[in-house]
Amino acid sequence: MPMLDSAALVAHTGKLDLVIRHVLAGLGHGIHPGRERGAGVEFSEYRAYAPGDEWRRVDWKLAARADRYFVREAERDSHVAVWLVLDATASMLEPSRAIDGLTKLHYARVMLACVAALAQRQGDAFGLVVCNGERAHFTPAARGPRQLQRVLARLNAVEAGGSLPDSEMLRTSLHFARAPSVVCVAGDFLDWPSALSESMLRLRHMRHDVRALCLHTEAEDEASFDAALAYRDPEQGGPVFRFGRDVRAAYTQAREAHFAEVRRQCRQHDVPLLQARIEQAPGEVLRAWMRRHKAGARAA
Amino acid sequence: MNVMNLSLWWLALPVLLLPILWHRQKREQTKAAPLASARFLPVSEPKQLRVWRWSDPLLLLLRCLMLLALIALLADLVLAWRGDSVLVAPGTDASFVKQQALDAGFKDAQQLVLLDHDAMRTGAKPEAGPVERHVAVFSEHADDWRRLFAAARGSWNIVVDAQPGPRTELLVWDRPEPAPATLRAPLWWVTDAHTFPELDQAARVDGMRVTETPRGRVWQIAGWPPREPEAARAVFAAWQRLHLAPQPYTAPAQALSAEPNAPAGPASGALREILATLLVALFVLERMLTHARRR
Repeated sequence: MPMLDSAALVAHTGKLDLVIRHVLAGLGHGIHPGRERGAGVEFSEYRAYAPGDEWRRVDWKLAARADRYFVREAERDSHVAVWLVLDATASMLEPSRAIDGLTKLHYARVMLACVAALAQRQGDAFGLVVCNGERAHFTPAARGPRQLQRVLARLNAVEAGGSLPDSEMLRTSLHFARAPSVVCVAGDFLDWPSALSESMLRLRHMRHDVRALCLHTEAEDEASFDAALAYRDPEQGGPVFRFGRDVRAAYTQAREAHFAEVRRQCRQHDVPLLQARIEQAPGEVLRAWMRRHKAGARAA
Repeated sequence: MNVMNLSLWWLALPVLLLPILWHRQKREQTKAAPLASARFLPVSEPKQLRVWRWSDPLLLLLRCLMLLALIALLADLVLAWRGDSVLVAPGTDASFVKQQALDAGFKDAQQLVLLDHDAMRTGAKPEAGPVERHVAVFSEHADDWRRLFAAARGSWNIVVDAQPGPRTELLVWDRPEPAPATLRAPLWWVTDAHTFPELDQAARVDGMRVTETPRGRVWQIAGWPPREPEAARAVFAAWQRLHLAPQPYTAPAQALSAEPNAPAGPASGALREILATLLVALFVLERMLTHARRR
């Protein structure tokens, strides 16, 4: 998949489900941990077709007999709940300076939508937590295609702004059931340690499977910003900064030190962390994220 | 128009750059793009952006025009400085002019040759000298009188005749006997009062007796001819003042007329009222616009 095509698609396609279909086209069922048998292997019951159900789960013989569509439900739904945590603070509006119209928020939204679609395919329950404007917006976990539509609508409606909620509020939002959960966190992790990072590490200590996606831009990685502009931190405000050849080394050094600390803590707490550029193709990044998880799970 | 004729006030034109710069700088300071990873940048003053754009172009235009009108008004009012100049009447000897300028310390000054009508006309029509006055002297001390008249040479041109003639203007009678009745002259200078019986009732003017007789005007002073220069000068001054007409003024008044070809100079003041009106109007507009912008 050409890089520019899919990244630009993320930027310019308003419909998340189209993007998901495009991104997941080459992935199929193979992402999920293999012990699960998948949807519809052990027949349990029929239920009425709902928009969003996959056509291959429709029982065509029954449809021919009854003139209505029925979907074969799996014998056993997964007990895994997938929690999608989206950092939608103002800093996530950082644009890619290479691809017009693409921001970190766009990219993170597509990534989480893909994970949601995967979870829905496998019959997992999934929920959504959006952190923005000093608050955590909570969508309870559920199963099924309607839940997918609901989550996609929520993701579509997200508007970035403000900063992260405090740790107390996040703690109350992320009070999960005892069931084992997969927590997928997408953000820029520029604030570290923060309430979000504390919650991630705490969830990890509670034996949940936490996987983090840290998004960068190409301009950040290569420290190539327009020196003619003055810059201001979108969340903290404060003084005006200047970029130039003389401060480039200091910028790179400070940024490297910050993310080295982030990586160190993640490794220490056994949280798989994937650092990706938003200019990369979403399919590859998604695959790498899941594989990273599998590698981490195997190591655990 | 010559460059030298321009007013020095035009050198104030760079003042117009001030509003242009001010309007430009206001634009620079309010521009900061959000950058998520700005926290990794070292704190430093942002560079001033050199953007050649201006805020409030209408106000800027008004201000520039106002300054321009002010400079033009000042330049129109004030005379230009011509520098050190030596005015030379046409026809003056060049070496003489050079010497004079050197003596006066105007060695490097420019020399302006005056137009003809500007020149002083003192030497334009030189007179032939003083008018010739014919004098007849009858005296025992004829040499003294001749010496007196010779001493006045220069400003007077006195010819002493041996015998009185029709051109004789002054007759000196320095003898005790009465003058013959046939002798006539416009003016008599008499030393002895007995020679003219009319002198008895004569009026006294400036220490001398003066009377009119059929033979002419008679002046009598004892002790003539005068010996001292002061007295001699007084005698000639009285002759000129009381008997002859007052001397004409030697320098005739200059007749100055407008010369259309002559440079009138930059400060003719022709635009003064227009510029002043324009300046006031611009000032009012500028104030109104500034006020409206602040609201």
